[in-house]
Amino acid sequence: MLDAIWLIPLLPLAGAAVNLFLGKRLGKAAGWLAAGLVAAGFVVAVAALFDLLSLPADQRVHVVDAFDWISVGSFSVDVAFRADPLSMTMTLVVTGVGALIHMYAIGYMEHDPRFGTFFAYMNLFVFFMLMLVLADNYLLLYLGWEGVGLCSYLLIGFWFDRPAASSAAKKAFVTTRIGDALMLLGIVLIWVNLGSLDFDAVFGKAAGGLTQGAATAISLLLLAGAVGKSAQLPLHVWLPDAMEGPTPVSALIHAATMVTAGVYLVVRSHVLFELSGTALTVVMVVGLVSALYAALASIGQFDLKRALAYSTMSQIGFMFFAAGMRFYTGAMLLLVCHAFYKALLFLTAGNVLHGLHDEQDMRRMGGLREDMPVSTVWFAIGALSLAGIPPLAGFFAKDQIVSFAATSDRDLAWVLASFGAFLSALYIARPLFLTFFGRRRNEQHAHEAPALMQAPLAVLAFLAVFAGLVLGFTAEGGRLAGFLEPALGRAEFGEAAVSEGVLMAISIVLALAAVAIAFWVWASGRVDWEAFPQRQPELAGWLSNAFYLNQLYAWLVQHPGKGFGRALTVVDDRVIDAAVNEVAEEVGDASHLAPLIQRGYVRSYALAFLLGAAALLLFLGLRA
Amino acid sequence: MSTPISSFLVVSALLFSIGTMGVLVRKNALVIFMSVELQLNAVNLALVAFSRLHGNLNGQVLAFFSMVVAAAEVVVGLAIIVTVYRRRQSASVDDFTVLRG
Repeated sequence: MLDAIWLIPLLPLAGAAVNLFLGKRLGKAAGWLAAGLVAAGFVVAVAALFDLLSLPADQRVHVVDAFDWISVGSFSVDVAFRADPLSMTMTLVVTGVGALIHMYAIGYMEHDPRFGTFFAYMNLFVFFMLMLVLADNYLLLYLGWEGVGLCSYLLIGFWFDRPAASSAAKKAFVTTRIGDALMLLGIVLIWVNLGSLDFDAVFGKAAGGLTQGAATAISLLLLAGAVGKSAQLPLHVWLPDAMEGPTPVSALIHAATMVTAGVYLVVRSHVLFELSGTALTVVMVVGLVSALYAALASIGQFDLKRALAYSTMSQIGFMFFAAGMRFYTGAMLLLVCHAFYKALLFLTAGNVLHGLHDEQDMRRMGGLREDMPVSTVWFAIGALSLAGIPPLAGFFAKDQIVSFAATSDRDLAWVLASFGAFLSALYIARPLFLTFFGRRRNEQHAHEAPALMQAPLAVLAFLAVFAGLVLGFTAEGGRLAGFLEPALGRAEFGEAAVSEGVLMAISIVLALAAVAIAFWVWASGRVDWEAFPQRQPELAGWLSNAFYLNQLYAWLVQHPGKGFGRALTVVDDRVIDAAVNEVAEEVGDASHLAPLIQRGYVRSYALAFLLGAAALLLFLGLRA
Repeated sequence: MSTPISSFLVVSALLFSIGTMGVLVRKNALVIFMSVELQLNAVNLALVAFSRLHGNLNGQVLAFFSMVVAAAEVVVGLAIIVTVYRRRQSASVDDFTVLRG
């Protein structure tokens, strides 16, 4: 099946084409077609995975060269797909989680008049995402990269009749575009320095062909793209607003797949980042700062989906942090586990929104466990998994990253990461308790979601529980780490000041403490959290506005931009339009002269004709 | 002894001038039309005269062309004049000054 990996992206593309043109007529079948094709892609990917595993470990790279794409002089790029442990991991996550979310969306989007269009966009997104992860060169990766950005735009603004949704879509597109433009420069630099864009050629030649400065420049430019796509500081502002899109979109694009593309890019290009060294440090710092920043911001949110959005940003920060420490297998383990439990959390949030008729404010939820017992279980599993309660998936992934910081002599980073892990348990236990526990703050009865929407959640919940045990029981010997080793190498563990058992115990105690605190504050009824914004308006303002970075950007970019626009309007009105209008007016005035010789008498025309002809003849005659 | 070429050209020039004056000073569209015919035939005469001078048939061929074109033009022109007369009860070109600036 390895030669058929081109089928994996092609199936959803076919689905997108069919649904785009026939979606209206297919009715509900549009959704099943879309979900089925993504699932079929998953089946092909699993078959390819077994083929890959049957190869010896050092030969697990298979490139399928489909056709020449661009060939100009010495510049040549193929459409080529690459099956190696890294790309297969991503492909399985994208198709597997993608298929489940598609299935969920059939129920969630049931009453939407643009049902077929929605699934066309979703399938198109899966196609581009698969192009991104299966590409064998940077340009094809960039094609997928831009494509997922486009689909993100289309799906955030799917309900474009809401002004908030359409402006959120524009914001997401423009903000990520800043990173994309820099990333394209990085790709150009790769070609200029190494003369190729194929992964094997680039990584093979990099050690000899790149100076450290060039490697740093390329890595930082690629990182800029990754930061934009993965919503890390300073290009993170679009992600919370992107929650205006339908909830399955938030789960698929803004939690499980697209936002992790930045992590994939860094991990895929780790040869270049390692060559630079500086760039790896930047990756680590950006990740850690983003993780802490988003964790604090998440605690200040009352909108359920925005709280989850900041938690996504924080989790991806942890992935960057791990990649920056050269712990690529740890970053990938967290990526996979996060895809499971965050998709679960978002889709369960979708159940809540669905049940409460689009109520998103957690201050008007509370006590929903009576109405939605099943959803409560799903959300609790997702939240506890994220919080790092053993033996759920999130525990293994996050604990390994945090303790890796300790074992590699990064004590300050370890302290901060532990604090981040504590905060992440706090920020995810908070929506759990605010939404499903405590006092009821909403009179309407929330109806539980139908079976069609619960089935994918059951699968995701299963994965969110067991993925860690199965894939990453220990950092050195976990199955995922072993599988990725041919592509990413083995992470080098050092000796920590304390034993690994102690580190693990600290993680567990922190997570449990955070959940306990969250319960005490938001569910026990003994703390008047609703009065907090009045008692501490400053602190509450900083948290709920995410440290006012949005406002800072507005002040730095948006207002000067608007001022510049207004200045240009004045130039347009007073200079350009004025000049055109003046010319038109002059011509109009001059046209009053013409009728003086245009009196309508044939005779006068004939005379003019005669005189003209005579003059012409005279002129020619005199010249000869 | 044949007639010198200049005689033909003088006649031709005279006819052309009469035709031109007719076009310029007459008001009746039919008369103007006849004057135009006079001009055309003056030119035809000159063409045939030059043809003889040069000893080839080019000028005569051209004269035939202009006769054919003139015939076609008369057909169209007369039709227009008749139609306009029916609508306006006038054949005077000075009455037809609708197309002015």
